[in-house]
Amino acid sequence: MRNEQEVNRAIEQYADTVRRLCMLYLKNHADTEDVFQTVFMKYLLHTEPFADDEHEKAWLIRVTINACKDVLKSFFRRRTVSLDEVLEQPALIAPDHREVLEAVLALPQKYRDVVYLHYYEGYAAPAIGRILGKNANTVYTLLGRARQQLRAKLGGEGDG
Amino acid sequence: MDERIRKAFDQIRADEALKERTRASLARRQAGRRRALPGRLRTITVLACLALMLLTGWGGYQVYFTPTSIISIDVNPSVELGVNRFGRVVAVNGYNRDGEALAAALDVRFMDYAEALSRILDSEAFAAYEADGAIVLIAVLDADEARGGEMLARVESCTAGRQNTHCLADDMDAAQHAHEAGLSYGKYRAYLALRELDPSVTPDEVRDMSMRAIRDQIAALSDGNVTVQTGHTGGGQGKGYRHQARQGAG
Repeated sequence: MRNEQEVNRAIEQYADTVRRLCMLYLKNHADTEDVFQTVFMKYLLHTEPFADDEHEKAWLIRVTINACKDVLKSFFRRRTVSLDEVLEQPALIAPDHREVLEAVLALPQKYRDVVYLHYYEGYAAPAIGRILGKNANTVYTLLGRARQQLRAKLGGEGDG
Repeated sequence: MDERIRKAFDQIRADEALKERTRASLARRQAGRRRALPGRLRTITVLACLALMLLTGWGGYQVYFTPTSIISIDVNPSVELGVNRFGRVVAVNGYNRDGEALAAALDVRFMDYAEALSRILDSEAFAAYEADGAIVLIAVLDADEARGGEMLARVESCTAGRQNTHCLADDMDAAQHAHEAGLSYGKYRAYLALRELDPSVTPDEVRDMSMRAIRDQIAALSDGNVTVQTGHTGGGQGKGYRHQARQGAG
């Protein structure tokens, strides 16, 4: 079991990543909070050492996505919420960013995490494939289709 | 577009309140885990409980399956019943060929000893050896004289009305001497009586002889007029603290 300092460091380092992934999957704050507790509890109890920070980050992303999927499978979760609740503090998000986020959240679920992992976290398709347990070619396909849909909504030329 | 997406995601942050609630929740759950005993201590506790259960179980097994008394039955078959402190037959041992055959044919384990004895005496297998004036010696062997006496009384009631059946009680030391010689108790007493008259006789020679045959040999060696007092012919070995015999035509 990891000590308190290690867990606090991980929370500081990865809380934003976990939060963004939650946004892609979950529709209310209570579920997000549950996932936070699940993910960092697993981190606390995970005793095997990580090879480096990248390994640790990939592990946390995988655990977060799995935790989100588990919440979605839960019978007791709330079914519908507004986008405002998803974004929590919509007033603090500039209109341009809000438009982009709404476009991403409007994508089918299978496109959202590859978009995030590629455009924000900077992972290439093979790395995304390893994290999500998907074939790299599948990831390329998902990214291509996601890009097309985003371009259709947001306009402009993608450079990725 | 890529930059727009990156900047949009960058707006999403985990607020401090969420991080703090996560930390607090983990601390509570950790405290709960600590209260529920650290892993190693929990493992040790579980193992200790298991060991105690095993020891208790093994202890109970030992108590139940350790004979505290022996009922030795000798005709020719020489059979001994091991009886536990609860009066239950927990062992049936044959001490010669006929005894082994009779023991194999008996199904008296876990029965009350008096009930088991009655079943043996009434069995067809036993009846085959009782013909023609056979002599039956039944001995109760117990380290506890009082308990041995009580058992003897019940054994006697089982044998009431049977001819040529002798009952006696003795202590466990006597049984030990017999077993060291590879004989049942009754056969050993007969062997000692015969050896007084014929020092060359060996336990192996008497092992498969019937009590009647040994008695006849003793009678022949002592000029033919010896009444077998199997409980008292031990040449000083075995106390034979209570003896009762009913002799009939044989």
